[in-house]
Amino acid sequence: MTTLPPRPFSGVRWLVRTTLAVLALLTIVAFATFDSRSVDVGKATAEFLAGFQRLLLEPRLENVTFVELLEQLAITVALGALTTLIGAAVAFVAALGVARNLAPRWLSLVINSVTALVRAVPTVLWVLLFAVSAGLGSVAAVIGMSFHSAGYLIKAYAESFEEIERGTLEALEASGATWWQIVAQAVVPSSVTALLSWTFVRFEINFSTAIAMGAAAGAGGIGFDMFMASGFYLDLRELGAFTYAVLAFAIALEWFATRTTARIHRPG
Amino acid sequence: MAFLEITDLTKRYGAETVALDGITLSVERGAFVVIIGPSGAGKSTLLRCINRMIDWGSGEIMLDGVAVGALAGPALRRHRSRIGMVFQHYNLVNRLSVLENVLHGRLGAMSSLAGVLGLYSAEAQQEALRIVQMLGLEPQLYKRCDQLSGGQKQRVGIGRALIQNPALLLCDEPIASLDPNAARVIMDTLAGINRTLGITVLVNLHQVDVALRYAGRIIGVNQGRVVYDGPPAGVTRDHIAMIYGAEADELLIERQVTDVAA
Repeated sequence: MTTLPPRPFSGVRWLVRTTLAVLALLTIVAFATFDSRSVDVGKATAEFLAGFQRLLLEPRLENVTFVELLEQLAITVALGALTTLIGAAVAFVAALGVARNLAPRWLSLVINSVTALVRAVPTVLWVLLFAVSAGLGSVAAVIGMSFHSAGYLIKAYAESFEEIERGTLEALEASGATWWQIVAQAVVPSSVTALLSWTFVRFEINFSTAIAMGAAAGAGGIGFDMFMASGFYLDLRELGAFTYAVLAFAIALEWFATRTTARIHRPG
Repeated sequence: MAFLEITDLTKRYGAETVALDGITLSVERGAFVVIIGPSGAGKSTLLRCINRMIDWGSGEIMLDGVAVGALAGPALRRHRSRIGMVFQHYNLVNRLSVLENVLHGRLGAMSSLAGVLGLYSAEAQQEALRIVQMLGLEPQLYKRCDQLSGGQKQRVGIGRALIQNPALLLCDEPIASLDPNAARVIMDTLAGINRTLGITVLVNLHQVDVALRYAGRIIGVNQGRVVYDGPPAGVTRDHIAMIYGAEADELLIERQVTDVAA
């Protein structure tokens, strides 16, 4: 039996192994040195599970009616939808200026740098930033969330546009079509599925952000009720009811998104 | 003056690469011209200069008495709309139907807004149907182009060019991605268009045998220069060697040249 020659040294492999080893070591050290004198692990686990049981198995409404819950859920959905829509409209136009197969290089660079900056600042920070001028509330939430949505969707849309083969655009240009005609007749039909699925992804993100904004930025909606139920009434059962409402909507949205993209994708 | 006059056309990519090196040729109306030459000889560049998809360095192209180099804006669009172009990779919008892709050829003749909204006139739609029937694609009229075979796709590409009602048809390697049967259908279609509609056709080809069979005239290009310009019958082994280089596969070429000579 011959032995294999030793594998050549790989810097990446070494780095991965060292990182894993250090993480393993830190985990052991951390667990060994936790200050857990005041915590009874058994009791804490039991209470944790009891809390979960109340949250998930015994949901009921106490301080709001079912109709009110639906109203508040609708407000949150509306906040998510509105910011996605505004972001998508801005992003569609701007992304045409970013896609390298459609726009001049300088314009692409300019818009790309600006949107990279917009994306680098988290959504919540944008909302707080606009709260300075608009006051904490729904206006700041709408502007701030739209801002970040646009930045995110510009990148996503532009990449979808860049998937289109140069030849297709060339063919229409060679037949004398104008730039806008090419966009409407070739770019949009080719990328509509990708655009839709990115928009749905962003709507999901904006929906969950809208919940957080309801609590943190006073934008209203189900997020605020959840904040009240958890932080003010300490009512895990009511919080459970809200959680299920949010979950139900998220599943419905997912089902709708999948169905819509599938229908457009299906060859006719 | 001939229909198409190219005078001393020169095009460089960067400082080093010379794509076209003083090309001079003229094409009569109604001709069927095949341009042969190795990859990188400048065939594609030459075609794309004629409809100004590429700007060149020096020289001039006159099409039907119009100086192509000076065109800009709407005049350039009008110029392009009178020239059909067929591509190796068909370059269709795959998500759209055969009918929609054929109608795309009309965009250049429409107002920008009507084109954006896809408001094709009833007459344009009739014309599209007639062309689709002529190309034998009627059963596929509403089929999406990503469901077609290569040969069918290329026929859609030809349909898109034909609905422009072009004076000139530029074909850039139209059969390079097709199997022999589909290639035959496409070349027969192009020859038929030339014969019955009187449209001037310029075809770039790799296949010397196909070129010799279909061409009314052969232009051999090597390193951006015209090295042969004449009837297919006049193409000799020496010409082939000049066009493709001395190492060109003799097994492939000898038989075809002698076939034509015989």
